[in-house]
Amino acid sequence: MQNATTVSAQSEPQFAALVDAIAADPDRRGQLTDLLREDHPFYHERGAATIVRMRGWVLLAIARTGVSDAALIFVLEELDTGIDAYLVAAAARALRSYPHPTENLAPFVMRALATIRYRDEPVSFENYGEYAVSSTGTTPVRELLATLAWLGPHARGVLRELESLRARSSGLPRKLRIDIDRAVQAIRGADQVEELGSDTCCTPPGGPRNTAYWPLNSRCGVETIEAAVFEDHQGDLVTFKEFFRGQPSIVVFFYTRCGNPMKCSLTVTKLARIQKLLEAQGLADRIHTAAITYDPAFDLPERLHVYGRDRGVRMNARHRLLRATDGMDLLCAHFKLGVNFIESLVNRHRVEAYILDVEGRVAVSFERIHLDEQQIVTRAIEVLKEKESCSRIRAQRID
Amino acid sequence: MVTKRKAATSSKSANKNNKNAATKRSARSALSVGTNTRRTAKERIAALAEAPLAVCESDKDLQAMLNVLRNQDEPVEVRLAALKSLQAASFSVIAFESCRGDYLATLRQVAEDPNPELRQRALGLLARKKDGFAQKKLLEGLKNPDKALVPPEKALQLLSYDVHAEAYSAARAIVNKPPNDDARREALRLLAADASAAPLFEKLLLDKNELREIRQIAASALHALKPEKLQEHAREILLDKSDYDDIKATSLTALTQFGDEALGKDKALLKSVDRFSVGKALSKYKQSARRFLSKYGQ
Amino acid sequence: MDVELQINNSANPLARFVTWAPSPCRIRVTNPSGATTPTVNVTITGVSVAGGGTVVFPSGTTGSAVSRPNLKRNDRGLAVIDLQNLLGVKADGVFGSKTEQAVRAFQASRNIFVDGVVGSRTWEALTASPASASSSNSLTLPVPIDGASVPFFVAGKFGQPSVNNGDVKIEARSGTTLVGSVEVMVRIRKNATTLTPGERNRFLSAFAQLNSQGLGRFADFRNMHTDVTSPQAHGAPGFLPWHRAYLLDLERELQAIDPSVALPYWRFDQAAPNLFKPDFFGASDSLGTVQFSATNPLQFWTTDGVQGINRRPFFKTAAVPEDLLTEAQTLGLGTRYSAFRDMEGNPHGSAHASFGGSISEIDTAAKDPLFFLLHCNVDRLWAKWQRQNRRFDSAQADSFHNSGRNPIGHNLSDTMWPWNGITGGQRPPTAPGGAMAASPCVSAPGPTPSVRDCLDYHGVVNASSQMGFDYDDVSV
Repeated sequence: MQNATTVSAQSEPQFAALVDAIAADPDRRGQLTDLLREDHPFYHERGAATIVRMRGWVLLAIARTGVSDAALIFVLEELDTGIDAYLVAAAARALRSYPHPTENLAPFVMRALATIRYRDEPVSFENYGEYAVSSTGTTPVRELLATLAWLGPHARGVLRELESLRARSSGLPRKLRIDIDRAVQAIRGADQVEELGSDTCCTPPGGPRNTAYWPLNSRCGVETIEAAVFEDHQGDLVTFKEFFRGQPSIVVFFYTRCGNPMKCSLTVTKLARIQKLLEAQGLADRIHTAAITYDPAFDLPERLHVYGRDRGVRMNARHRLLRATDGMDLLCAHFKLGVNFIESLVNRHRVEAYILDVEGRVAVSFERIHLDEQQIVTRAIEVLKEKESCSRIRAQRID
Repeated sequence: MVTKRKAATSSKSANKNNKNAATKRSARSALSVGTNTRRTAKERIAALAEAPLAVCESDKDLQAMLNVLRNQDEPVEVRLAALKSLQAASFSVIAFESCRGDYLATLRQVAEDPNPELRQRALGLLARKKDGFAQKKLLEGLKNPDKALVPPEKALQLLSYDVHAEAYSAARAIVNKPPNDDARREALRLLAADASAAPLFEKLLLDKNELREIRQIAASALHALKPEKLQEHAREILLDKSDYDDIKATSLTALTQFGDEALGKDKALLKSVDRFSVGKALSKYKQSARRFLSKYGQ
Repeated sequence: MDVELQINNSANPLARFVTWAPSPCRIRVTNPSGATTPTVNVTITGVSVAGGGTVVFPSGTTGSAVSRPNLKRNDRGLAVIDLQNLLGVKADGVFGSKTEQAVRAFQASRNIFVDGVVGSRTWEALTASPASASSSNSLTLPVPIDGASVPFFVAGKFGQPSVNNGDVKIEARSGTTLVGSVEVMVRIRKNATTLTPGERNRFLSAFAQLNSQGLGRFADFRNMHTDVTSPQAHGAPGFLPWHRAYLLDLERELQAIDPSVALPYWRFDQAAPNLFKPDFFGASDSLGTVQFSATNPLQFWTTDGVQGINRRPFFKTAAVPEDLLTEAQTLGLGTRYSAFRDMEGNPHGSAHASFGGSISEIDTAAKDPLFFLLHCNVDRLWAKWQRQNRRFDSAQADSFHNSGRNPIGHNLSDTMWPWNGITGGQRPPTAPGGAMAASPCVSAPGPTPSVRDCLDYHGVVNASSQMGFDYDDVSV
């Protein structure tokens, strides 16, 4: 990997040329997926709008070359939580180059449609960094509708929703109503019913994987960060080891200045729901929860407290909002966080959550799409049972 | 009698409904007047003001309105009226859905218009949407004043709508070498969200040669970035007999709003504030002292 | 003897706030010493300080004609007292010959069939009669000494709101002896330009505390009104009800800080020069940066982590913004809601667009506290239109536009986001702020209001629907 300073010093046109070169080389195309990682050095010290331009260009390159299974999650992430018109449009276009359309993809497209519909705007895919100054080109809504048409019968599950949108869409422009009609027709296409059956046998069950699990003996130790000091929402100091060792923990990352309500605000709101699920099962004292800020310089204790309070987060000794007083770099490295910065300010990040085991090691990670509260709690209970199994085994050995 | 009254009301209601239909038609015809180049500017401006929601009803009406806005041969005041009408309509989000794309595209065109007021308004509307196009233009203008579409203080103000707008380095440069006072002030306001700027704001707050407005920005920034420092320095200001009354009033307002309860035990501070409350300062400044004392126990 | 007076049927001092709508109250004897009969007549009167609010005592068990029983000769009871108070005859609770004569005379004067029996038409005419309101600045009630409560109503006298908390006292006397009293406030939303310095400062202080430099509950209100959330509240019939609920929620949060505060309105079709001054909502410089005086707590106003307010008026603030529909023109848009709601364009949208800066666009409008005064006027206009056209009843088609094709959140029976806590799908991803703030004074509109719940804000159709606010120039 190139030195962060070197690559981040590259101009945007240089970056665009590099992307084009990679896309043109069949042996290097896999690197395009790598360029979508938020923590890639190319994005270091860049503004958020710059990153949108850069990522959009990568997605368009992927749209030309084809979406791999590895890249699919990045595309779906943009549809799931993206609010930037250019990126959503690029992702919608890219999805159409995925070789295995399945019914799992349709809800992502519909969700993006619901999110972006009233924020639709013309975008230009002609040249890098170009902004549309006329409405003759494409828009994210047009791209999403085209993708629904591409999905055809695989989108049967969302047909009713789409028809309802059509029925209530007195405000939708005429050309978009035509696009909806085209999508509806494609979805209803009866002659593809047999193909639908044969497709599903080869597609990964449950869609793209947003969850990773590390077996006990493969988990990274916490030596580098166990002494890291956090300040919590009340201004109390606690080390990583003091808070996370001894019981499983569910950890999310966020920052209060996140401008995307589909990301941090929703993530912390989900943490509150996770806490309720834990309470309902009598596990609130046995599984810790924490929300750690990416922006410790700005997210001081009172700010953390208010943010959590406003989202219904329960805060006490076992459930905290935290800022690293130092060692943010180590934290990023340990968790391999999907985040990048311009000075100390976050410029881009992914949605991410982790379950730590009783030693504070990462046992399960969830990233990018579908932070499902129940699923997280279920996995956390499994990790809790690991602890209990280990304790039983130790007890048996002692006996 | 009650029956007759009901009948009369019903007839009156029918007349009003006819007027409704007439009013609705008149919004469309108002737009027609507003976009008619043969009418006087005054007539057109008045008509455009009546027309906001008419643009949502047909693409033809929308395009007519956008053409007025785009057309550099139109009188500026008519173009501004068209912009205002579109802006008013944009609040009706659901109804405006069919218009938004064309509206935004037009704003990007107008952002580079020869007329400075139109440019500024268009850029303002785009910047508040965190539009990448607008941010790029504004940043370019700060780096290269020859390319600036708006004055630097305006550019900074518009960039402050998005903390992610990559404007901190430009703001620091302007603080170090301000082209004018307004630009410096807007740069400082923008930097008030930069966690690394706390030492700068400490220095500004304590500098008696600074304008009250700058010291107030500093006080506010410190509260956001290092609240304990604000309390410490506000206290120093209040104890300093040589500092200005207006900054003392600002400090008192800050402490009344955000100070912690321990201030009630600070006898030296309370004494100093009490003196201020009966001294020679303006009565409204003395009132701020009384509010402080009322909160902290005296 | 001592009595207890409960305003809004509550002993809570925070419930001692009334509007123009009748507030249900009760009186009971807490100490019967000195009483020699099973019931005592207690006269309740409002006593105002100079320049303070004034209260009246509307009659009836509900304050409206909805649930009054039919009455005829020889009937007895509280409803008869109610009737006698309205007629201005001696209120002894017995429907005798004098009461019947008065009924007949009233019926004749109103072209109602003269039969001496009080049915719904007679009740309606009695309670609609302006005389019935003005005749009730005191009320005499027989109160049992066993401690049982007797209901009555109090309302602010239209046109005479309070200036300070407690500037009007309700006194209860048995004969000439004062047996109980309670201080109340006729708390009304006023034209911002008419606020006294005290009212203004209390409002600004409460607002600044709610903001608390970006760390207060105001952040939720800011997050309720963004581009992402805007379809819940704009461009469809639910626009007016949603904003009514939004303002009410904010106002109740302000009242939790200072109960004497009511949200003022910016009447944008009139000049409001003192509103745009450093001591009030700030004076904008040529750049549009709003300047406040050293003592104005709004100087620390912060939203989205950024301090300050950007607002550039496109009009001279000593004058009226140009090209806005006047109040008369707005009220004349039509008698049907489907026509009236065009006001979302002009004057509402046009008022927003009279500025550059935050208030000029949906996504940033709530960053400027002036936004709430602008919308308070929008709501006032709706209230006035409702009054003018008697559009409080959601069952009446012209009171709303329930087309059956309205988007979610814009149908009468829809609960409104964010108070309903519903997220995802056609609703935004999160629901900041939680349920609607409660009021110690009234129970409406409830924690998760529907669109329908926001129409009868004054309790015209159903007294229990009143939401605890009124406007200084909108009588009902």
